[in-house]
Amino acid sequence: MTTPCPESKLAATRIKVGRSLAADRKAPRGPGRGVACDVSYTLAFPTASVATIVMLPTEPVGSIPRPAALIAGVQDFRAGRISQLELSALYDSAVRDTIQRLEATGSPVITDGEQAKHSFATYSIYGLDNLSPDGVPIAFADGHIRHFPRLTSGPFRYKTPADVYLAIAQRYAHVPLKQAVVSASALSLLYPQGGIRGYSREEYLDALIAEQEGEIRRCLSMGAHVVQMDFTEGRLSIKLDPSRRLLQSFIDLNNLVLERFSTEERKRIGVHTCPGADRHSTHSADVDYAELLPSLFELQATSFCVQLASEPDRKRVLRMIRDHARDGQRIFVGVIDPLDPRVETPEEVRDRILEAVDYIPPDRLGTTDDCGFAPFSDDTSRTRETAFDKIRARVAGTALASRVLGLE
Amino acid sequence: MQEQREAHDAILDRLNRRLRTLCQCASTVFQAESEQELLQSLCDILVAGGECRLAWIGYCEDDAEKTIRPVAQAGSGLDYVERVKTSWGAMEAGQSPAGVVARTGKACWVDDIRTDTRFSPWRAAALARGYASCIAVPLIAVGGPRGAVDLRGTLNLYSAECNAFDESATEHYTGLATSVAYAVTALRGHLAEDLAYGVTAVRARAERKRSEEALHQAREELARVTRVTTLGELAASIAHEVNQPLTAIVADANACLHWLETDHPPLDSIREALTAVVNDGNRAGEVIARIRALLSRTSVAQRPCDLDGVARDVLLMVGPELGRYGTVLQTSLATDLPTVMGDRVQLQQVLLNLLLNAAEAVRDVPPERRQVVVRSTLEQREDGPWAVVAVEDAGVGFRQEQAAKLFEAFYTTKPDGLGMGLSISRSIIDGHRGRLWATANPGHGATFHFALPAAP
Repeated sequence: MTTPCPESKLAATRIKVGRSLAADRKAPRGPGRGVACDVSYTLAFPTASVATIVMLPTEPVGSIPRPAALIAGVQDFRAGRISQLELSALYDSAVRDTIQRLEATGSPVITDGEQAKHSFATYSIYGLDNLSPDGVPIAFADGHIRHFPRLTSGPFRYKTPADVYLAIAQRYAHVPLKQAVVSASALSLLYPQGGIRGYSREEYLDALIAEQEGEIRRCLSMGAHVVQMDFTEGRLSIKLDPSRRLLQSFIDLNNLVLERFSTEERKRIGVHTCPGADRHSTHSADVDYAELLPSLFELQATSFCVQLASEPDRKRVLRMIRDHARDGQRIFVGVIDPLDPRVETPEEVRDRILEAVDYIPPDRLGTTDDCGFAPFSDDTSRTRETAFDKIRARVAGTALASRVLGLE
Repeated sequence: MQEQREAHDAILDRLNRRLRTLCQCASTVFQAESEQELLQSLCDILVAGGECRLAWIGYCEDDAEKTIRPVAQAGSGLDYVERVKTSWGAMEAGQSPAGVVARTGKACWVDDIRTDTRFSPWRAAALARGYASCIAVPLIAVGGPRGAVDLRGTLNLYSAECNAFDESATEHYTGLATSVAYAVTALRGHLAEDLAYGVTAVRARAERKRSEEALHQAREELARVTRVTTLGELAASIAHEVNQPLTAIVADANACLHWLETDHPPLDSIREALTAVVNDGNRAGEVIARIRALLSRTSVAQRPCDLDGVARDVLLMVGPELGRYGTVLQTSLATDLPTVMGDRVQLQQVLLNLLLNAAEAVRDVPPERRQVVVRSTLEQREDGPWAVVAVEDAGVGFRQEQAAKLFEAFYTTKPDGLGMGLSISRSIIDGHRGRLWATANPGHGATFHFALPAAP
């Protein structure tokens, strides 16, 4: 069991420049597998100083491209060439390697890179026998379509909730772990428009809310640094329903989940939003952010990881965030664009943060990536190396900005 | 003449086939339950109808290339749609019938792919798949509160024959596309409405549950306060009950001290006195324990409960209070009462309340009527055995017009009463799936009964 981080500690993570991560790894772990807020890591970029600085919080969104061996292993498993045990070993190895490499970037908060998830949206339901693959189509700008599954019968239960992944990651992590969960609103799309005989939409939503509450609660009690609700269908909903009724229903549904948690618990629950990222494209970047942001901050979460780096007019989005974010909500702005093959420099990241500070005060600001680097497990359009390099740049750039902001 | 007739028949045959196809399409438009199902079914029907070799539907993307993204397709040569990147931009890729239609909103067709120069970029691929003519019609819906374009796409048909799509075909397929666009908009609206309805229902239930929980807590707190108030009424008796053993303890202890100072202490007497001290101490402790149990608990826990035990505990508590005013307490408790499911403290509260009401009802009547009787009986009912407890007095009773109000909150006949006791007692018994009621006695006074079903 881990000790929840006090709010003041959540606001800023202490980074000790000049110490080696290896040395820190050798240090005995605290309770709860070392999950603590006051963590010290070497920054993976050249520094002239060994002063201890307090950095703006920075954390990843979630996924990292899977190793080629794992992708091949999944195909081999489906073809019956390897056993479940062998596949599990590959998952385990990928999680361990990903965590080691994420820790090496100096990121004070990490994830398991979602190595064992089928996708960010379907991990909890993958393998259920009451699903059909022909659900709502999600069309991406490059022309490819991902079909959401369709529920064929009740009752609805998760098969592999996020806490299962968290437990595996905790075996290897030495720094606070963030755990992503898919939003209830995304999974609401599982229920077919024509209904299911003998299993009403209300029954389904009841079950869905209960499943997600349980998933989040278990992650929190296991010591997740923060549980992030992936809400990538916000702008997509405007595309599906320009009247915005669907968006409002999405917000209401997610709030039904969030309202089940106390104010203290909600301090460790965040929301991530982006227009999707798969292969080289998005599904809803063409929808104006202005359609989403006012409603987004109605969600009763405390932190928001908001895609920003890839926005054509970042200042406009920052203005909207400033105008609509509520007191007590911390905004982690995206400073890395996973879809851009070029690795950002720390200086670019720094400048993006300083740009954001004009609109969001440092005590309510954090940094993140625009999206995961491979939300779908079969996405090979980016390399692991690029992902780690970009994360390293985020951490370094955040430290640079912190120094400029005098957070020392 | 014969040739004219054959040509006429051929046209008639074609129109008939198209009519059948369009009827099937119309049926799908009304019956489809999802957008994807609608679009794919339409393509399937159009190809099965025989007038075209390939049917596909594309949606316009707002990306840099202004892509027309295929979303449904059926027929022969499906790889054509994948291979031929179609755009609705002004560049060359946007000059195909689909691109023109998406830009202009008007139908566009090619009578002969072999010769029409507009089609030259796609000619080779089309001819390789046996397409000789084609038509594209707009699939556009404009609506929404801000006049937003809800849908921009094209329906595209390819035929193996030249000149397959004449003016009437254009009209028919344009009409079909209009219906499809309308249906897509409606289905999208349904998606939002269905979810909104579901979420609203779930929220209403969640709020009702919250309200019920709040009400339950308020009731519990009220019941606790009432218990405290009731015990306040017993304060004098309780003090007496506790004081009596304490006095005896002090007396016995003093006697022991006295005996111990003698040269030959009477050990038997001392032992007897100390045993009495222990017994009196336990007696006082039991009184206090019963009171504490009534005061401290707020949560309801229903478990198998012995009503006889409940009655005996309450009678021990209330007996001295009745005695203070010369009221005679009689009991007639059945030995075969079934166990009930209940909260012991709450059931004690009900009986205590009924007994104190009875005590008060007989306080100012002539001494010979100062009697309270507690009876418990077993009743066999259609749904099984029930335990019934009755508290009967020969006091002031109630008038017929008061009967309906007895269990209402804040209704009281006592000058200093809160009027909550009977109301709370009834809600407690209701919460135990039982019944609490009152009857006027034939002579004097009233009887209050409560009945509880036996535990399953």
